[in-house]
Amino acid sequence: MSLTHQHPSDRHGPVGEPIVDEATGLLTDPTTPVSIHHETTAELDRLWDDKPGLWGRLTAVQNDAVGRRMMLTGFFFLLLGGSVDSVVMRLQLARPDSEIIGPQLYNELFTNHGSVTMFLVILPIFEGFAILTLPMLLGSREMPFPRLGAFAYWTFLMGGLLYYSSTLFSAVPDVGWFAYTPLSGPRFSPDLNVDFWVLGLGVAEIGAIAGAVEIIIAVLKLRAPGMSLARLPLYAWAMLTTAFMILFAFTPLIVGSLLLELERGFGMHFFTPEAGGSSLLWQHLFWIFGHPEVYIQFLPATGIVSMVLPVMVRRRIAGYSWMVAAMIGIGFLSFGLWAHHMFTVGLPAIVLAFFAAASMVIAVPAGVQFFSWIATIWDGRVRWSTPMLFVFGFMVTFVVGGITGVMVAAVPFDQQAHDSYFVVGHLHYVLIGGVAFPIFAGVYYWFPKFTGRMMSERLGRWNFWLLFAGVHVTFFPMHIVGLLGMPRRIYTYPADAGWAIWNLISSLGLLLILPGIGFFMLNVWWSRKHGQPAGPNPWGADSLEWALPSPPPQQGWTRLPIVRTRHPLWDQDDLHTGDERHERLADALGKWPLKWRAVLVVGTGNGEPEEIFRVSDTSIWPFVTAVGTVVIFASELLKLRLGALLGAAIVVGAVLMWNRPSPAPMTEAEELEFEREHGVPVRASGSLVVARWGMALAILFLSIAFGSFVLSYFYLRLENPVWPPAGVERPDIWIGAIIVALFAVAVAAVQAGRRGILADDRERLLGGLGAGITCGAAAVALLVTDLVQADFGAADHAYGSIFHTLGGFAIVVTCCALVMSAATFVYGARGEYSAHRFSPIDNVARFWVATGAIAALTIAVLYGSPYLTS
Amino acid sequence: MEGSRLRGALDPSGSGADDIAAVWWLLFFLGFAVFVLVVAALFVGVRRSGRPEDRSTSRAWMLGGGIALPAVVIAVVLAVTLSTMRSSAQNPPDTAVEVEVIGHQWWWEVRYPEHGVVTANEIHIPVGEPVALRMQSADVIHSLWVPELAGKLDLLPERVNTLVIDATRPGRYPGRCAEFCGLQHANMDIVVVAHRPDDYASWIEAQRAAARVPVSAAAQRGLDVFVASDCGSCHTIAGTTANGTTGPDLTHLRSRESIAGGMRDTTIPDLREWITDPHAVKPGVLMPGPSLTDDEIDDLLAYLEGLE
Repeated sequence: MSLTHQHPSDRHGPVGEPIVDEATGLLTDPTTPVSIHHETTAELDRLWDDKPGLWGRLTAVQNDAVGRRMMLTGFFFLLLGGSVDSVVMRLQLARPDSEIIGPQLYNELFTNHGSVTMFLVILPIFEGFAILTLPMLLGSREMPFPRLGAFAYWTFLMGGLLYYSSTLFSAVPDVGWFAYTPLSGPRFSPDLNVDFWVLGLGVAEIGAIAGAVEIIIAVLKLRAPGMSLARLPLYAWAMLTTAFMILFAFTPLIVGSLLLELERGFGMHFFTPEAGGSSLLWQHLFWIFGHPEVYIQFLPATGIVSMVLPVMVRRRIAGYSWMVAAMIGIGFLSFGLWAHHMFTVGLPAIVLAFFAAASMVIAVPAGVQFFSWIATIWDGRVRWSTPMLFVFGFMVTFVVGGITGVMVAAVPFDQQAHDSYFVVGHLHYVLIGGVAFPIFAGVYYWFPKFTGRMMSERLGRWNFWLLFAGVHVTFFPMHIVGLLGMPRRIYTYPADAGWAIWNLISSLGLLLILPGIGFFMLNVWWSRKHGQPAGPNPWGADSLEWALPSPPPQQGWTRLPIVRTRHPLWDQDDLHTGDERHERLADALGKWPLKWRAVLVVGTGNGEPEEIFRVSDTSIWPFVTAVGTVVIFASELLKLRLGALLGAAIVVGAVLMWNRPSPAPMTEAEELEFEREHGVPVRASGSLVVARWGMALAILFLSIAFGSFVLSYFYLRLENPVWPPAGVERPDIWIGAIIVALFAVAVAAVQAGRRGILADDRERLLGGLGAGITCGAAAVALLVTDLVQADFGAADHAYGSIFHTLGGFAIVVTCCALVMSAATFVYGARGEYSAHRFSPIDNVARFWVATGAIAALTIAVLYGSPYLTS
Repeated sequence: MEGSRLRGALDPSGSGADDIAAVWWLLFFLGFAVFVLVVAALFVGVRRSGRPEDRSTSRAWMLGGGIALPAVVIAVVLAVTLSTMRSSAQNPPDTAVEVEVIGHQWWWEVRYPEHGVVTANEIHIPVGEPVALRMQSADVIHSLWVPELAGKLDLLPERVNTLVIDATRPGRYPGRCAEFCGLQHANMDIVVVAHRPDDYASWIEAQRAAARVPVSAAAQRGLDVFVASDCGSCHTIAGTTANGTTGPDLTHLRSRESIAGGMRDTTIPDLREWITDPHAVKPGVLMPGPSLTDDEIDDLLAYLEGLE
C-alpha cells in the first residue's frame, strides 16, 4: 500500500488549509499521509506477543501490556482511593460542627487522598503512558528492558495492594501524606498504620525508579534511524527530564523511608531529638523528593500539551529549543527549592531568602513554556475539539496556580498561607489544572490510536465544561477561606469561625465535578464500541505514532520508519526513504538473520544506527522478583525478620534467573558478517550499549542513595555538638585503611579480569574475578566484624544508628557486587564470554569501580571524619 | 458578634500581620495583572486566525513573555519579600515581654517565667508592646497561628523558636495549631488577648495568686476528690499538693475562656460534661476518664467553680 499525494506541508504546514469537517473537527480524509508496509507476518506477531492464558499474563513483558496495565491500575487506585475520599471529606466539611465522620476516619481519608494521588495514581499513569507510547512515538519496537518494565508494574501493583491492605487490618495510615516525624515515629504512632504507609509505598517507589530507568534509555537510545535529539518529539523530552527527576527525587525518599522504618521497627534514632536525632532531617529528606515530585507530575503534562496543541492549531510549536531548555531548566531548578515547604520551621533568614529566590526563578522556564504555547496559538487557527478544550482549560487554570505559587514563595506571605486552605487551593489548581486537564486532553487525543475509534465530541464537551466549572467552584473559595484562617487537615470547624459559606460552596462544586467525570467514563465506555472509526491519523498530526494503523499491530513497527525531519508526518513524503544506509537497515530488521526480537540502538545525539540487539522476551522472573521484594517488606510489617531473609533469597535467585544467558540465535561469525555488510554491530546475545546505560543508571541510583545517607550523617553530625557521643571511642582508622586497601585490590583484580576476556583469555578472566571475589569478601567480613564488635549499638543513639546504617549500605552494595561476580564467574567458566561477547563482564567491572568508590567514601566518612571535625 | 466579622490574615491587628497584608495586596494586584495579561493574550490568540506568513515570532514571545515578564514580577516580589523579612526579623528588644509557649497534643501550655504565671490555651499580652514567644513542643510538631497578629511559626521538639508578636489594639484574637499534630489537630485552639497596660498588670496580678481555698464544705470535699483521684499527677493547682505537668495548670481555671483546646467553655455544665467523659467530647484526648460517682462530680465541680 503505497500512497502518493500532495506534499504534506501543503496540507498541514505553516497554516495550510487541511480539509476539515467543521462539525466534528476531523479531517475528512483521515488516511495516513505517509506510506509504509503494514503487512504483519504471523512470524512477527509470534515474536513480539506475550503468551496466552494466566501464565502468559504473569510472564508478559511487552510494552503495550505493561503500559496499559500501569495506566489502568493507576486509574483503579484513583477510583478506590483518591475520589471517594474527597467526596466524603467535602461532605464532612460542607457544614460547621459536622458529625458525619469522626477525626480518625477524616485523618485517614486525607492521608489516603494525598498518598494515593501522589504515589499511586499520577505517577503510574504517566510512566505507563510513556511505556505504552514511546516506542511508537520514537519509531522503535520495544522498550530497552521489557523485563524491567514488567518488574516496575508488578512492584507498583503489589506495593499499592500492600498499602491498601491496611484497610483490612484497620490500620489505615493517618499521619498525612508527608508523615512528619516525630508524629510518624514509634512513640506517637505505635500501631502498624505508618508501617503500611512506609512499606507499601516503598515497594511502589522501587517500581517508579525501575520505570524511570526504562524511559531514560528508551528516549536516549531506542529511536528510529535519523531521529536525532533535535528531532525528538517534545513529549519524549518531557519524559526524559521527568525520568531523571524520578531517579534523583525518589531515591532520597526511599532512603528517608528506610531510616523511618529503622527507627520504627529497630529502635534506631534518626528523628528522635532525645537520642540525638532531628525531626527536621525527615522534612529535608521528604521535601528533596516532595517538591520535585510536583514537577515530576507537571512536566509530562506539559509534554502532552506540547504534542496536542500544535496539532489542534495546525502549527509547529513556536520555540522548540526554548521549550526543551525550559523543561530541562525546570528539572534542575526543582531540586533547589524544597525548603520552601519549610518556611515556618524557623530556618535562618539567609536560607529563607535563598529558597524564596530559587522558588520564584522557576517562574521563568514555566513562563517560557506558557508563552511558547500562546505564540503557537497566535500563529495558527484553533480547532475546538475536546483535546483542545482541555488544553485551553489547562492554560487558564494553571496560570492561576502558577501565580499563587509565586505568592507562596514570598516568605512573609507564606507564613500566613502555609498549611492553610490557601495552599490546598493552590496545589489543586496546579495538580488539576496543570496535570489532570492535560491527562484528559491526552486521553481524548490518543484514544483513537489505541481503539481505532474517536471519542464522542458531544459527551466530551459536557465532560469538559462541567469539570472546568466544577474545579473552579470547588477550589477557588479555598484561597479565601485560607486567608480567613482555616488550617488544612481539620476534620471540623466551629460555626463562628466565618468559614461555613466558603466551605459549602466548595462542597457544592462536587455537584459539577462528579457528573463531569461521569460523562468521561460514559464516553470511554460508549466510544470503545460505537465511536466514529478513526483511521490512522484522524487529527492530521505530525508525530510518528500516527503513521501506524489504529490500533497498532503487536510489534508496532513492522518496518522501522526513517526520520528526516522534526515533524515527519507533516514534512516527509514517506517514512521509508532516506539515507541509503538507513533504508538497508530498515529492510534488514525483519528479515533473516534477524528473525528474532531485534531492536535498533541509535547514537544519543545524532540518531545514527549504533547497534542491533536482541531485546529480552517473556519471563516469569520479574514477577517472582517483585514477589520477593514484597516478601521482604511484608515481613518487616509483620516483624518476621526471617521472612525478610527468605524474601532476599527469592530476589537474588530470581534476578539471577532473570538475567541468565540464553542461547544466541546467531553465531559470532554471522554477527560479524552482518556488521561487515551493514556497518552496524549485531549483538544477538544481548546489548553492549544498552547494558552499559543500564549499569550507569543503576550506579547513579546507588550514588544518589549513598549521597542521601552521607548527607544524613553530616546533618546529624551538625545537630550534635559531641560526636561521637560522650563515652564512645572514635573508630579505629587503621581498620578502615585495611578495608579500603582490600577494596582497591578487588577492583583492580576485576579490571584485570576484564582486560583478560577482551584479549580472549578466559583464564585471566576467571583469575581476576576469583581474586576480586576473595578480596571483596574479606573486606566485607572485616567491616561486618568491626560493626558487630563496636562498643555501641545501632539503637543506642543517633551516632550509632547512622554509623551502622551507612556501614550496612556499603555491605549490601558489596554483596551485590559479589553475587554478580560469582554469577559471571560461573558463566565464564562455562565459556559464555569471548572478546566479542563480554557485556556482563564489562558491567561487573564497572559495578566494582562504583562499589570500591562507595566503600572508600563510606570508610572516609565513618572512620575518618570524626578525626577531622572533633 | 465576632462570628459575623471576617477575621483573618487580611484584617490585621498586629505589626507582623500588617506587613504581611501589605505584601499580600501587592501580590494580589500583580498576580491579577499577570492573569489578565496572559488570559488576554490567550483569548486574542484564539480569536485571531494566523496567516501563512506568521512564522516563528517565537523569540519575541519568549524574551518578552517568557523571560522579561516573570523576571520583572519576580524582581518586585523578591525585593518586597526581602525588605519585609528584614524589617520583621528584628530580635526582640530587651524590654519585650517573655512568654513561653509549649505545644502539647492537643493544647497549649503558656508560661510567664518573670511572673511565675502558668496558664493554658490563651496568651495575655499588653497592647502595643512586643512580646517574645519562646516556643517549643513537648511531643510532636505544632505550629502557632494567630492570623490577625502574625504569620505562623512551628513548635519543634528539638529546639526553641521565637516568634515576636504585638497587638495594635485591645481585643481577643483567635488562633490555632496549623501543623497536623495527630487525632485532634482540629481542636487545638488558642486565643491571644491584648489588654490595655493596666488591665494586663491586674491580669498578671490575679494569675500570680495561689488558688482560692475551698469556701464551702462541698468544695472542700471536691478538693479531696481531686487529690484522691490522682488528678494532681497530671494537673497543677498552686497551693495544693497537685503539681503534675502533663495536663493544663488549673490554678485559675475559671478565669479562662475555654477548655479542651477550645471545644468547651469553662461554665459548670461544660465542665461537668468534660469531667464525666472527656472522650465523648474529644475522642483520643490523653486525659483518662475518671470513674467518679455523680456526688463526687458535684463536689469536684463545686471546687473547680471557685478556681477563678
